[in-house]
This record gives sequence, structure tokens and C-alpha cells, in this order.
Amino acid sequence: MHEMSLIRSLLTQVRELAKEHGGGIVREIRVQVGPLSGVEPSLLASAWTHLRGAAELGEATLDVEQVLLEAACRTCDNVFHPVRFCFRCPKCGGTETDVVRGDGVVLYGIVLDDAVLDDAEQGAAL
Amino acid sequence: MSRVITVNRDLSAPARAGANEFRSAMTRRGTMVVNMLSSPGAGKTSLLAAVANHLGRRRRMAVLVGDIATDRDAQRLAPLVPVVQLTTGGACHLEYSLIERGFYALPSGELDFLFIENIGNLVCPSSHDLGEHLRVVVLSTTEGDDKPAKYPKAFRTSQALVINKIDLLPHVPFTVDAASSDARSIQPHLAVWPVSALHATGIAPLCNYLDEQRSSLLDQHAQSISAT
Repeated sequence: MHEMSLIRSLLTQVRELAKEHGGGIVREIRVQVGPLSGVEPSLLASAWTHLRGAAELGEATLDVEQVLLEAACRTCDNVFHPVRFCFRCPKCGGTETDVVRGDGVVLYGIVLDDAVLDDAEQGAAL
Repeated sequence: MSRVITVNRDLSAPARAGANEFRSAMTRRGTMVVNMLSSPGAGKTSLLAAVANHLGRRRRMAVLVGDIATDRDAQRLAPLVPVVQLTTGGACHLEYSLIERGFYALPSGELDFLFIENIGNLVCPSSHDLGEHLRVVVLSTTEGDDKPAKYPKAFRTSQALVINKIDLLPHVPFTVDAASSDARSIQPHLAVWPVSALHATGIAPLCNYLDEQRSSLLDQHAQSISAT
């Protein structure tokens, strides 16, 4: 299983994202997984528990949202939820379909608290 | 003060960017990269040996072979083609960075095909883009024809399905039609190639398909150059 390497990648991307937005304390990390993501949400949570401390993101919680598989038909533009991974369009029978949701591990967003500066830092900032 | 920052970004995006660059570089060199996935024991190494015996006569090919431990597969292929063993030391799949390193460890020279024999595992390898042009999933008749629906991602993300060990069909509860139909429900455009790697049955049509895919890739590339 590759949940550990996914969490490592998640932690790197979250740290970069927080930095891009001026830094602060990451309170929450929101990810979405679906039936074709190739990960097991409980193993993702377990990998998170093991790795969060080392990444200085110990204050954050990981919110894993499970989303439905969603595909779009190129022939008739119908968007549907494939049943038992059958990707034929239920409306027109088209076989040209694209997965639009539920096949990756998506970093949906983070909740960031502005960093609280201590007195010395506040002095320096002034 | 709390701020919500929404990004909606696939975690594999940075790795995919590297894989895309590698794929483009290989296209420019005229090398088609083929990533082979299967369960352990489905016969990827035997299949590559059979392909090397057939396609290797007219095309320049090399193999990067992934395993958790040992270089046994590389030893089997070394008399036939240039080969580099990639050992992951426990990891369940290959990643693009290993492919790039393996490619540069091959003897220099132009290649028509670069085959990647992924770690035997139908789960994790299907989530990793290795910079391939073509993904081939190998299913053997001894595994049962119910596997496509059980491992949908491997089949959804592949363009071709090789059904190996068809010489054993009289002895196992497996039908090529059932497996193909199950797999095509998940990926309707899957090209299906029943073979026996051990007896070289069905290898010629498979190699012709690979050759056609490469020609089509090179044609598309030539057209894209002339259009710019």
C-alpha cells in the first residue's frame, strides 16, 4: 500500500501551500478520495497519525471526504455515477467517457490560522 | 483569524508533471514506453522474453524491471535485451523517478521500445504514471476471469489487456470472453490479446499491435511538429 508516500507528498504540498499564503498554523487539511483513488481512507488516516508530527503539522486535523465516482460522456455530455465500474453511458450507450471525480487523491483545501507572534517577534515586525 | 484556502489539486500532480516531461522526451527520441502491470506470477517476465524473441528481431528494445527484492527477472531477460533491475526494497510500486534513473543506467543508444515491468501488484502501480505511452495489464488464466471488476483501476487506466497462459484454458475455470467483457465494461476501448508466453502463441499479433501503436505515436508527433 502506498498511503505513507501519499501522506508524505500531502505534507510537502500543504507546507508549500501554507507558505504561499503567508504562513500560519495549519488547522485542517481537507482531502477527497473516491472509489478509483487506489487508497483506503482508514490507512490514509493511519499514515497521517504516524507522519504528522515529523512534518510540524501536529496542530492540524485531516478530514478525508469520500466522494462518488463521476464520469462524463463525450458523446452526449451526460454526467453519471458508474455502477459497478461500468463506464458505458447509461443515457446514450456511448463508450467514450472521462472520469471527472473519484479517481485521485485530491488536496481540496486547508484551513489556516494566522500565526500569533510573540512579543519579541511583534517588536521586530514593528 | 482562520482562512479557508481551496485548491482542489490532485496530489499526484507534481509527479505527473515529471512523468509528462519524460514521456515527451521519449516521444521526441522515437521511443515508445510501455508499462506492464499484473499480479505476481501472471507471466510478465515470460511475456517480455517472448516479445524480445519476436519484436526484438526488428526493433531496438530495452527493459526496466521492477521487483521488491532480487535481480532474478533481470537475469532472465539479460541474454535477450538490455535490462536494468529496479529494486524498491519493499515499496509496492514503481515511481517515475526510478524510471528516469533506470533509463539513464541503460547502455546508450537509440531505442524503439522501452518496456517497464512493474512490481507484481494490481493495486498500487495503477495509481502511478511512469511516463508511459501505453499501459498494458496482464491477466493470467490461473487467476480467474473475475479479476477485472475486483481491480478496476488497473483495467480502467490501461489501453491493452494481455490474457496470458491460454494453454492452460482446458484446465482452469476461466473464459477469455468473460474476462474481456468484464474488463471492457470498465474500459470499453481495451485491446485484448490472448497469448501463451511460454509457447509463443499469440505473440506475433501482440507485437504487430505494439508496432502499430508506436507508428501511430510517431505519426501524431510528426503532425504536431508540422502544425507548429
